Amino acid sequence: MKKIVACTLFLTFVSFSFSQIKAGEKLTFAASYNMSGLMTQLAQVTMETETVNTEKNNYLHLSCEAATFSKWDSFFKIRDLYESYVNPETLKPSLYKRSISEGGYTKKEKYAFKGTSVTSTTKRKNMAETTKKFTIGSSTQDIVSLIYKLRTIDFSKMSAGQTTSMMLVFDEKQLGVTVKYMGKETVSAGNLGKKECYKLSIDAKTDKLKGTDKNLIWLTADAKKVPALIKFSIPVGTGQLALSSATGI
Amino acid sequence: MRKTTLIVASLFTVLGILFSFLPLGTLALLPIVVALIFSFLTIQKSEPNFKKLPKMLLTVSVICFFVVLAKEFLVKDEVAVDKTFEKTKIETKAEAKKELEDLEELESLE
Repeated sequence: MKKIVACTLFLTFVSFSFSQIKAGEKLTFAASYNMSGLMTQLAQVTMETETVNTEKNNYLHLSCEAATFSKWDSFFKIRDLYESYVNPETLKPSLYKRSISEGGYTKKEKYAFKGTSVTSTTKRKNMAETTKKFTIGSSTQDIVSLIYKLRTIDFSKMSAGQTTSMMLVFDEKQLGVTVKYMGKETVSAGNLGKKECYKLSIDAKTDKLKGTDKNLIWLTADAKKVPALIKFSIPVGTGQLALSSATGI
Repeated sequence: MRKTTLIVASLFTVLGILFSFLPLGTLALLPIVVALIFSFLTIQKSEPNFKKLPKMLLTVSVICFFVVLAKEFLVKDEVAVDKTFEKTKIETKAEAKKELEDLEELESLE
């Protein structure tokens, strides 16, 4: 009997603290921006996972890259790369890198996580490199790993309107993020077809996001919790990322 | 009145042509539809001898309309192979591995 209880407790612990994110996953999205009321496809966003091994550890490399479609390149070329190196089981980040190139403007950021302290290095175009050290909570994520961490939350037992809090490092500071479960909705999920999804509203204490319940994410309501649709509202407009292809899930 | 509709039709036809060549997708249909409406109104308000210009504007707008639709449905959205970006990705990954090893080294020293 003791063994059964111990096994049940162990399995419960495993299901809550270990991620189901595996290496070899590739999610491709079509990013659209709202121009005068019409959604115009601008770029392709690709999210990939792979294993990276050092001599002492192994990490899960989570990358997210955005590239404008070739027809836009001569007008406004975007080549952004967001990367996070995390513990494969807990998704706790060790290193976060951001390299943005948008219409001639460039910025490179690096966040090195060591326990509850972060050392960030930022290099903007034509400016000197700056370094900052700040303290974070024990469960603080970077923007990339936060998206993956979101996929490990069990929404099946949540009721509409229920919220959960997370912490995020962005722009050299720690931010509070509130995730509100808004119920289930069926949306198109690219090659996965139409899928029933968990609809979530993301609210962060930053001026980078606008409106209440305007920043939404739909995760497939299955074990994989694949992001099928992401809608965002920023000070300069609104847009969306629609899943076009999901492989290796 | 005819003069106003003709000016609006001409202006939006020019905008429609410009937007058709830019990668604006269906957004280009906005000036084209306005041009179509005003070209049609101008034809209605014109004397039989003065219908040539608005008819021309209407024809150009119709062509632009179909060019935009053809581009929208026939031209596939693709990301160009960017060798510089691919090189950056490889370099960043190699740097990251080194940085992770440095972090591990620091942690083991403490």
